[in-house]
Amino acid sequence: MRLAIYSGLLLLGLASVQSADAASIYAGEAKAAAVCSQCHGIRMPSADAPFPPLAGRDQEYLKTALKQYRDKTRKSDIMNAIAGSLSDDDINNIASYYAKLKP
Amino acid sequence: MNLTKKRLSQSALMPQGHKFRLIRQAAQLSFIGLAAIALPFGAQAASDTTKNMHQLYEDNCASCHGSDHGGFIAPGLNSESLKGRSPTALRSLIMTGSFDTLMPPFYGRLSDDDIRGLVKHLQTTPKQANPSWTIDDIKASIKVYVKDESTLPAKPTYQVNSMDDVIGVAARGKYGRGSGSKAVFINSITHKQIGEIPTGTAAHIIDYNPANPRWAYVKTDTAEIFKVDLYSMQAVRSVKTGFNGPGLGVSRDGKYIMAGSYVPHNAVILNADTLEPLKTFELEGVDPDGKMVSSDSGMIIGSPMDDIFAIALENAGQVWVVDLKEGFPVTKIEKVGRHLHDAFLTHGGSKLMVAAYDDNIVTAIDLKDRKIIKKLDAGCVPHVGGGAAVEVDGRTLGFGTNFGDCDKTVVSVWDLDKMEVVKQVPVAGGTESPAAHANAPYVAVDIISKDRRARTIQLIDKKTLEVVKTLDVGGHAYFPEYSADGKFLYVSAGYNGDEVVVYDSNSLEKVASVPMESPAGIFSHGRVRYMTRGLSPDEIKGAK
Ligand code: HEC
Ligand code: HEC
Repeated sequence: MRLAIYSGLLLLGLASVQSADAASIYAGEAKAAAVCSQCHGIRMPSADAPFPPLAGRDQEYLKTALKQYRDKTRKSDIMNAIAGSLSDDDINNIASYYAKLKP
Repeated sequence: MNLTKKRLSQSALMPQGHKFRLIRQAAQLSFIGLAAIALPFGAQAASDTTKNMHQLYEDNCASCHGSDHGGFIAPGLNSESLKGRSPTALRSLIMTGSFDTLMPPFYGRLSDDDIRGLVKHLQTTPKQANPSWTIDDIKASIKVYVKDESTLPAKPTYQVNSMDDVIGVAARGKYGRGSGSKAVFINSITHKQIGEIPTGTAAHIIDYNPANPRWAYVKTDTAEIFKVDLYSMQAVRSVKTGFNGPGLGVSRDGKYIMAGSYVPHNAVILNADTLEPLKTFELEGVDPDGKMVSSDSGMIIGSPMDDIFAIALENAGQVWVVDLKEGFPVTKIEKVGRHLHDAFLTHGGSKLMVAAYDDNIVTAIDLKDRKIIKKLDAGCVPHVGGGAAVEVDGRTLGFGTNFGDCDKTVVSVWDLDKMEVVKQVPVAGGTESPAAHANAPYVAVDIISKDRRARTIQLIDKKTLEVVKTLDVGGHAYFPEYSADGKFLYVSAGYNGDEVVVYDSNSLEKVASVPMESPAGIFSHGRVRYMTRGLSPDEIKGAK
């Protein structure tokens, strides 16, 4: 069920913004799956983990948070280190990927 | 019917992790520059310094890294293996975990002082001697959750057409323990969860009683076995058979269980009803190079052919056949291969195909004569998982997966009648476990090479023996398994993926997803009828 809804969204994205968006979701997905999911999970973090969930969160909120971590206006040892090397493109891609994902 | 009694226990699905696979993720690490993290955590409370580091290790790490610090599904952590490693790098690895592996992030779960203390402790502690866990320890560990089993319901308390439609998934939980660690049972017709059994530490193997469909046995990374009543979806008893080790088999009459450990080096036969230990076996013997060694337990399997268990001694390179009669006598088959691991049955359970990691072969053993038939090429570091066998155009073909960390990434196909290699099918990477079903057109294999490919499974056409499709499952895709009717293919999107994904076996369209934490091995109840995945139930009828 959940998946049907998710892929529906993906398709909508594809139809409206065309392939540029598809590429960015894909790029975001690759990085999120490889790195962020280690702590935040893909759809949900571990029930036993102290990490906030990201799936389905507001895209603008995620972008802002990541930029704040990057320029250290928001302090978190671990997220400052991780966001420090993210480019604007990375941030856009990852935020759009997680925002579109159903938790 | 008599037939029910002769159903076979399982295919010998073995360690779901891969022992000591240690290719570093250099690319991903450098992407976020984690190597450079020097986290300023010094400020945290110092009250933890008094904590017993050994206990901390046992409570958080040992289920994966081995109670003896010698490694289990993760590498050994001891003064030898961590010699010369930078404490800062180890500390940051423990905080963030290792990306795209089962190593979880302990940031926020352990204090910085604990992590520092652990690093020091690990870098100064040698691998421990094989600890003892005797038959008395096993007996004393039995826990009874349901005293009077006659109070249990006579039928499933949920809607299911046949118990064969039940699929069990070993959900590891992110940390290999805690609330995410459980055996999850799903109705493979509706793809809805029907129950879950919390297991404390990561569930690793699920096996079913061939004689009574209500009983399942779940074994954890820390070698506890839970006897589960599938009708009421609850654990009725448990027993701790060792410290680590996944080996588990059920006899064809459903009366005995055999369990084997990595730590300590022993195996035990239990009464399947009460979980009382009946006999323990010290696993040691002369290896193929003539050296006397103490050995980890590899696969354990019951056969529908006879009242026996077969057990592989990993390091000793021997297969022991244990007769289920007075005294449980053992016949030892030597020189089977170097570093044995898992196996599967064919020909009504009379032939056993055993993988030998270090010889790159699968050895066919005749369980009637208790002799080696032949050694067959099996690709690179063969890990046959539960194995798969299919009948195509009058031939019985076996499929063997392998880690394939060398150049040759193939799935081996053998003619199991003639015992010869038919083809080595090129696939995208190393593989760990094949799935097949008599009614499904494809044999599915999980690609486990450590990059994007690990998210995929590949489908091999049974007739052409070519890869015809690659599916991106998301998460680390592994342990494909068909539903008992062959209509659906279940795959774990594990590690950081957090769902089991279900495909239509013919169209390969995604049809459902079942959420859970770090799913790994998938075990269809149907396995008790078809012995080895891909065979039809008639194969067992032909056994005698
Ligand atoms: C090693 C663990 C770890 C990894 C890997 C990680 N994070 Fe985090 N993340 C955290 C922690 C801990 C917090 C909470 C920090 C705080 O207190 O602000 C956090 C917070 C966040 C937040 C803020 C959420 C909120 O509710 O305000 C965002 C957004 C975020 N992370 C995104 C990411 C992205 C994107 C990645 C991958 C590039 C990533 N994280 C990788 C540990 C991690
Ligand atoms: C759920 C299983 C699991 C648990 C629990 C776990 N680890 Fe690991 N650990 C792994 C795996 C798998 C690897 C190998 C990662 C790789 O290949 O990159 C690993 C790797 C490591 C390494 C690097 C070893 C090397 O030789 O490079 C260290 C150090 C480590 N773990 C420490 C710990 C500590 C300390 C704990 C407990 C606080 C712990 N681990 C708990 C699975 C686990």
